[in-house]
Amino acid sequence: MGAKKEKRVVLETKHVKKQFPKVLANDDINMVLYEGEILSLLGENGAGKSTLMNVLYGLYKPTSGEILLEGEQVEFSSPKDAIRKGLGMVHQHFMLVDNLTVTENIILGSEPGKYDFIDYKTARKEVVSISEKYHLHVDPDEIIENLSVGVQQRVEILKALYRKARILILDEPTAVLTPQEVDELFEVVGRLREDGVSIIIITHKLEEVKAISDRVYILKRGKIVGERETSQVTKEDLANLMVGREVVLTVHKDEKEVSGEPILQLEDVVVRNQKGINALDGLSLDVRPGEIVGIAGVDGNGQSELEEALVGLLKLESGRILYKGEDIAVLDTKQRRGKGVASVPADRQKYGLVLPMKVSENMVLGFHDEKPFVKGINLALETIKTHSEKLVEEYDIRTPGVEVPAGNLSGGNQQKVILARELSSDPDFLLVAQPTRGLDVGAIEYIHSQILKMRDKNVGILLISLELEEIFSLSDRILVLYEGKIVKEFIPENTSDKEVGFYMTGGKKTAEERA
Amino acid sequence: MQITKLKPLFYTIIVLLALVGSVMYFASVFSGILLILAAAGLYFVYYGLTEGKGASKSLALSFLKSLLIPVIGVVSALLIGGIIMGITGYNPVTAYKALFYGGLVKNWSVSVLNAAPLIFTGLSVAFAFKAGLFNIGAEGQYYVGAVVATFLGLHFNMPPLLSIPIIFLVAGLLAASYNYIPALLKVKTGAHEVITTMMFAQIARYLSSIFIRGMGGGSDGPHPYVTDPILKSNWLLKMKTIFPSANYRVHIGILIAIGMALFVQYILTRTKFGFEIRAVGQNKDAARGQGIKVGRNIFIALLFAGFLAGFSGVNQVLGLDHKLYENLNAGYGWDGISVALLASNNPIGVIFTSLLWGILAAGGQYMSRTVQTPNSIVEIIKGIILFLIVAKYIYIHIGHKFKNKKKEEREAVK
Repeated sequence: MGAKKEKRVVLETKHVKKQFPKVLANDDINMVLYEGEILSLLGENGAGKSTLMNVLYGLYKPTSGEILLEGEQVEFSSPKDAIRKGLGMVHQHFMLVDNLTVTENIILGSEPGKYDFIDYKTARKEVVSISEKYHLHVDPDEIIENLSVGVQQRVEILKALYRKARILILDEPTAVLTPQEVDELFEVVGRLREDGVSIIIITHKLEEVKAISDRVYILKRGKIVGERETSQVTKEDLANLMVGREVVLTVHKDEKEVSGEPILQLEDVVVRNQKGINALDGLSLDVRPGEIVGIAGVDGNGQSELEEALVGLLKLESGRILYKGEDIAVLDTKQRRGKGVASVPADRQKYGLVLPMKVSENMVLGFHDEKPFVKGINLALETIKTHSEKLVEEYDIRTPGVEVPAGNLSGGNQQKVILARELSSDPDFLLVAQPTRGLDVGAIEYIHSQILKMRDKNVGILLISLELEEIFSLSDRILVLYEGKIVKEFIPENTSDKEVGFYMTGGKKTAEERA
Repeated sequence: MQITKLKPLFYTIIVLLALVGSVMYFASVFSGILLILAAAGLYFVYYGLTEGKGASKSLALSFLKSLLIPVIGVVSALLIGGIIMGITGYNPVTAYKALFYGGLVKNWSVSVLNAAPLIFTGLSVAFAFKAGLFNIGAEGQYYVGAVVATFLGLHFNMPPLLSIPIIFLVAGLLAASYNYIPALLKVKTGAHEVITTMMFAQIARYLSSIFIRGMGGGSDGPHPYVTDPILKSNWLLKMKTIFPSANYRVHIGILIAIGMALFVQYILTRTKFGFEIRAVGQNKDAARGQGIKVGRNIFIALLFAGFLAGFSGVNQVLGLDHKLYENLNAGYGWDGISVALLASNNPIGVIFTSLLWGILAAGGQYMSRTVQTPNSIVEIIKGIILFLIVAKYIYIHIGHKFKNKKKEEREAVK
């Protein structure tokens, strides 16, 4: 790859500026993209990465500056123009129709065929040939909702390639992927590069930049603050450039003796999902006070069902959930919370917050009918307000006030609202699922430190995360979840991510290939 | 902001409005109250925008914003209505003169009489909406309320101070229980309340005939069957007894309706029940995840919506008609959907949108009587208003891009 001598510029921006009414989101952006390279755009949340990509993709018009495509100045008024010129974008949230097939999704909007008739045969053939050409294996007749997130992403990439994209923009492509899926994605991206496709990856993950890209631009407060050849820069340098301060990438964790009776025990828990399949299939585990137990696993192996079963949203088919020795499987969500079970849900916007409601209202959601937040049937609005203001300060939540809708806050601050609510309830057991998904370095660091603080307060913590790095840095014990069962237990010090990954995939051939 | 430069202008307008309003009021033109209210509202907004800090400023702003779409909708609908009249050969100027003279001055009492039942049904629909439910069958619950009120009104011989509250309560509760089956189906099986309550509305309408004929009475000129009048002691108090200058037909139902609107607003914003209703309405999953009983809240919300709509029927029987006509298509339930939509489901807003609907109806009748413009023009205007309000989702769609930009902007700040 480094052997490319006459590197051809495919995309260039000159002094691109994007001014929003009050904010300068992009300022004097000069960047180039060469043919067949993987370029990372690194920056914290709100650094202006997405704005810049939306400008390139025709969603926003730049306030000033030029965009040159193959040396020719272009002005996109909509993504349609951009697609026509060979740009493709895979958004963080996929734009797929769940109940259509892979082929239907790929051809959607540019169907082959005459008049109103869609030529499915040709379409399918073309989809198959593209997927073979780029080794993007996917069943063209499968319905989207039956596919894992990683495969759905592959369909998105195929969609762009089907439209003959020569420049591919991937927005936070690994945010929703498992470690294995990330590896597969990187392989795909590598193959696309060999084929001459130029790729821009938007990310705030240093690992990824190092692992895959040839070159990286670092964005901060709307400006490019650095450009580096990836091979000649360390993760620490990148972090410093991006955040502008020293970042402790490894979590500082005190050694701690854990003993005593488990606070939570799951015994042979069986839970059925909506399709009637045993999503948890005889799962047993225990968590002791003051210990963080990490659940490692590939997405879709029972993580969300485990979460829902613990919170009380899913009924058990059989088995017991013992909390302080008492079976709480028969209790509802409210009763479990009353006993000191707190949870930070994986899907924070769906299960954690009511976005249109005020920050203060979200701070007491679920506790709104308990003292001191209620007087008779009335809400104690003053108490709720002062309580929320106190938490906003304590957890350093950036918000114009507690009266604004929670939906106005950034992702990191939304997560802090949930954390503040759950931790301030003084729990004895805490379930944390995907606590840092999609958050930037600063927020991740903070949330990790808060979780560790709870551990020091002798709270028993169950951590469900798809980020293996997070599992390793926080957990005292690692349990591997595979097909609804715990298949292996590890002590983080005595194992490696490779070994854990081996069990996460059921110990099948992927591990052999790697060995 | 430049708005401060307009201070003298603003204050002149406010003082003028208040003065004219007071003069009108004391000259027995009661729509003067509307002008006084407008002056107060203007003052509140102006003060909030210029002197207010933080909360009151944002309150004034959100108030203005929430007014924007309805005002645009009403004004453009009137313009379009005018054009239609012009094309079809009626003089829009004289027609509108008659419309507003009739609705606001001459027959303002009819406007108020029209508004009261709409406030109840509007509140019913709005409250259900807050819980994420569409109580399309308020019409049916209205009939239940009216039938029960008539029955009790015929037979309940007690001091009015005792009997009237009891009639309201019993009729309200029975109207609420009329939503029991739709609510049960919704919670247990997920059957959509739009279908079930609508079906129940039809059933109630035709069932009411049977009950009406069973209560005694006879035919009455144009109407095939009318019940006997209810006992005089069960009539709602006339406004005249409180304000001697008031029109003789106007009764205190409008005050009960306004009180109810304040009560609903109170429930929604200040009680734990209202908190749960809003949480369930805006994000069921999060509410369930935080231990709120979603099914129970949906159940209670639909029942309470029925309770409110039932009041509308009681109000009409005890306050205005004092008897019940067979085969009368009241329509207050359907119009309740309109006024709730127009008010964006804000209980206080429902008072004003109901008044607007009432004024249009009263003014329309006056207009067709005096200048012979067909009354249907009012229906057309109402339809256009609604279309433009529902079309707010189009504005929202357009505004969405703008919002996304703003979001970017906010993120860029950090």
